Amino acid sequence: MNATGLLIKEFEGKKAYRPLRILGASGQLGYGIPTPAFEAGLARTPDLIGCDMGSIDIGPYYLGSGQLATARQSTKRDLKKVLLGARRLNIPLVIGTAGSAGAKPHLDTTIELIREIATENKLRFRLAIIPGDISKDVVDQAIKDGRVVGIDGMPDLTSQELSHTSNLVGQMGATSFQEALALDIDVLISGRACDTAIFSALPIMLGFPIGLSVHMAKIIECASLCCTPGGRDTILATLYADHFILESMAPQRKALPISVAAHSLYEQNDPYTIIEPEGRVDLKHATYTQVDDRSTKISGAKWIAAPKHTIKMEGARKVGERAMLLCGSADPRFIEQHKQILADVSVVVRDLVCEDGPEDYTLFWHVYGIDGVTDRQVDQPLPAEICLLIECIAPTIDRASEVVKTMKQYLLHFGYAGRLSTGGNLAFPFTPPEISLGESYKFNVYHIMETLDGERLFTPELIEFQ
Amino acid sequence: MLLMDIAKVIRSKNAGPRCTTLDIMFASMQDYEAVVNANQITESRIAQLYELPVDQVKIINYPIAMALKIVLPRKITAGDPGDRDVYGAQQHARLFRIEI
Repeated sequence: MNATGLLIKEFEGKKAYRPLRILGASGQLGYGIPTPAFEAGLARTPDLIGCDMGSIDIGPYYLGSGQLATARQSTKRDLKKVLLGARRLNIPLVIGTAGSAGAKPHLDTTIELIREIATENKLRFRLAIIPGDISKDVVDQAIKDGRVVGIDGMPDLTSQELSHTSNLVGQMGATSFQEALALDIDVLISGRACDTAIFSALPIMLGFPIGLSVHMAKIIECASLCCTPGGRDTILATLYADHFILESMAPQRKALPISVAAHSLYEQNDPYTIIEPEGRVDLKHATYTQVDDRSTKISGAKWIAAPKHTIKMEGARKVGERAMLLCGSADPRFIEQHKQILADVSVVVRDLVCEDGPEDYTLFWHVYGIDGVTDRQVDQPLPAEICLLIECIAPTIDRASEVVKTMKQYLLHFGYAGRLSTGGNLAFPFTPPEISLGESYKFNVYHIMETLDGERLFTPELIEFQ
Repeated sequence: MLLMDIAKVIRSKNAGPRCTTLDIMFASMQDYEAVVNANQITESRIAQLYELPVDQVKIINYPIAMALKIVLPRKITAGDPGDRDVYGAQQHARLFRIEI
């Protein structure tokens, strides 16, 4: 019998009969898992290790392109650490949102790394994977049925827009994970998933309350970020039938009532609610009580099942190829007039590069020191230096490169009113100052789809490592 | 007194690619209540600071963590061409100088 089978058998007919110890090993697998805290966590003989591996916050590029945000080597190191740890204790390992964005190419890359680690370390285990991709046909039908709604003001999704999506995923929930966990497995790696499913699916199967399990999951998916000081070290949750206790596995990080409660604010627009595909958790009556100087007891989360199941979908489409120019200025007259200068030069550039073709590109400038990060305030003084990042998105990389190279030359020598510095308007930290970045993407799907009764979007597949 | 002199944390971050969320946290219940009672962090003040219609600003009091949360729509979806702050982590500073 394998790791999940053993636990399910142990709890058979004995719902939540003993506390469950769950390790949140990493908030984003692939950026390094500090070994001392992870090993300290293993020493506490946990029942489950979970790691979140991705997020939408990193932007549309990774989802669209299929690339990982983390480096191959550090991703492999982290995967090896958690896989060897889980196999050593013969406990389940659950990883959600494989490869940064959780679409097929991300899951494939993650499985490839797992294969290498299994071979190199002669591991034997049973792996379940759950792809997170959603078929465009399914979504197209839902659009036609009026079952797709944009999130936070996202424009209505049309069939045509959908067809441009390069990768389309849905955030699967605990129900999908449970289907895989029931297959007597050792390791579960999913495509795009709710970060809560990683840690809540198994406890719910073992009879722990849903609200409590999801609340716990929502906190420990960020590892020790809920502590003072917050950090990425492994955290241990001990789940009981009516509360859970959090303790960081790094001695300097304290899980205090205030810091744990404050974690509900992080990257959320409502600290009192956690929304899941199958319902929501109400935290209005959650309580946080200090147990000792390093741990906190949490209870009171309420689960409210949804009458209809929904899936949050994410998709990205290619918008072109990006090239950029990086340079600076320390000339007060240039800085004072930069807005007009950039507008004027962009016209000069357009007239040159569009001599024998259409204006098929877009040009943006980010003027650091002025308003490169946020809108300029009325009373803000002008800085002594500015950095200019000029980006072009065009149909091809050659076209984008042509535009920024032309921009560089004409901006360098542009004769604006009152110019004193006829040697050149720009400083380059290195040459070439133009950089070709390649494919550029945008989110075109960030929508909720109401699923049909009994509709099964995500299906587990088994892989045996002998 | 300015908000930056009384708050323990003033931060911004995406809450999904379409929203920016601003968290203001305090070191004590006394500081939290002082700021709440001063009633200077209002939808209209935030709307003015972030140049948004007032009905698009949401403020949530979260006393259990001695914190205030502000939710704003992003003017541009995170990572779209022309975005300046994909994570939304640098949109907080204009709260610093709110007079309490």
